[in-house]
Amino acid sequence: MAGEARGLSLRQFKAILHKDIVMELRTKEMITSMGLYALLTMVIYQVALSQSGTAFDPRNIAAGLLWLAFVFTSMLGLNRSLVHEKDQGCLEALLLSPVDRPVIFFAKAIGNLIFLLIVQALTIPVFAFLFLQQGSYAGEWWMIPLALLAGAVGISGVGTLLATMSVNTKGKDFVLAVLFVPLMYPLLLAAVSATSAAVLGGDGSVQQFWTGMGMMAGFDAIMLLASFALYEFIVGA
Amino acid sequence: MTEPATIDAAVEVRDLTRTFGARKALDRVSFDLPRGAFLSVFGPNGAGKTTLVKVLTTLTAPSKGTAKVSGFDVVADAVELRSEIGLISHNPLLYPDLSAEENLVFFADMYGVPDAAARVRELLVAVELDHRRLDLVRTFSRGMLQRLSIARALLHRPKVLFLDEPYSGLDPHAVEILDHLIEQIRADHTFVMISHDLAKGLALCSHALILAKGKVVLSAPREELDEAEFAETYRATVGLGVA
Repeated sequence: MAGEARGLSLRQFKAILHKDIVMELRTKEMITSMGLYALLTMVIYQVALSQSGTAFDPRNIAAGLLWLAFVFTSMLGLNRSLVHEKDQGCLEALLLSPVDRPVIFFAKAIGNLIFLLIVQALTIPVFAFLFLQQGSYAGEWWMIPLALLAGAVGISGVGTLLATMSVNTKGKDFVLAVLFVPLMYPLLLAAVSATSAAVLGGDGSVQQFWTGMGMMAGFDAIMLLASFALYEFIVGA
Repeated sequence: MTEPATIDAAVEVRDLTRTFGARKALDRVSFDLPRGAFLSVFGPNGAGKTTLVKVLTTLTAPSKGTAKVSGFDVVADAVELRSEIGLISHNPLLYPDLSAEENLVFFADMYGVPDAAARVRELLVAVELDHRRLDLVRTFSRGMLQRLSIARALLHRPKVLFLDEPYSGLDPHAVEILDHLIEQIRADHTFVMISHDLAKGLALCSHALILAKGKVVLSAPREELDEAEFAETYRATVGLGVA
């Protein structure tokens, strides 16, 4: 009986994830809007820093700039991921089916994580080209993708929960931003610290990187567990 | 219809109350519906009809009272209950960017339907949409959407079907098709239908119920109804306004 239930939950998880990916590949709504937004942000950074002079080293603020772009980009995508569920009452149809609510949460969060990682993969080369001139990246090469992954997991998990909360509200973009930024604050601090260590390198950078990674792992674990526990209540409210 | 529940009751509702802030959308609603019956629920806008369906389909929790559908409590046994019910709404509840077949396969997976491909094909043929199975749902007419919506609701062979103004916005041909489909499955299902169309609702039902301001104003088997008196009661409720 428990095995059957697990089998059904896995089938439902795969169905929701597959449906979200097929629809995104067909409409390209999230990837296009998030990708364009991230690239435009890079251009604006470049313009903003164009008069900073040669004494200013943009690597010192590179990690902050990068995560700023990812936070705003992800808010754009997270809202869209739930809005198409609201279209024509699809969220209602989903909730009518005998699916455990956490299964919906994990499928939506994994879908959002995949889309965010794709946008990160598109953005990083442009960012490196504009702000990290050849030879100026001083850290280990594997540090950046690890830091991006850990940050993206937290953003997707918490973001999916908050987007579900805000999708039924009138000013959903505003509501999501107001809830998202304060909750993500600890994760952003850790992500910027770990990414800075990766970019700047130097004495103690590996230790700083792993401290940041540890904080992100802790944040991800706590927030994913909280989201798992709260999702039933959130979608039923 | 208000006698104590029996083992044959498909829907058992006892003192069901649902409040939104200070407003009572449902106020101590009680009724039973035997298996195989067709209940038409009438009432003015804001009478609590849609809230009643939302509670009975587990989409909204009751504030007080109890309700059972197909023997399952809407709160305690919500997951099990969802396998026993289907909902056909004026909203199609389908993904516009998936094809007809993809929509049905998705919902077959959500309900754990065995041999999903065969069941999907069988229903597409039944609702006369097999030739459009690969087309995106966003290209469908209102009538086609409603037919596909019926196929979605029947995928998992539910015992109780809820119809929330299913005829809303349909052209006469689509109404004929929907009538035919309901007739085909009528013997094997219990129906609860919300309707603003008195003639249509009475023509289909075996039981009728009028809600106004969240309360049951009238509830009786069809054969016990005096049509003129029923119409007069219904007209009187229209002036009662929102619950």
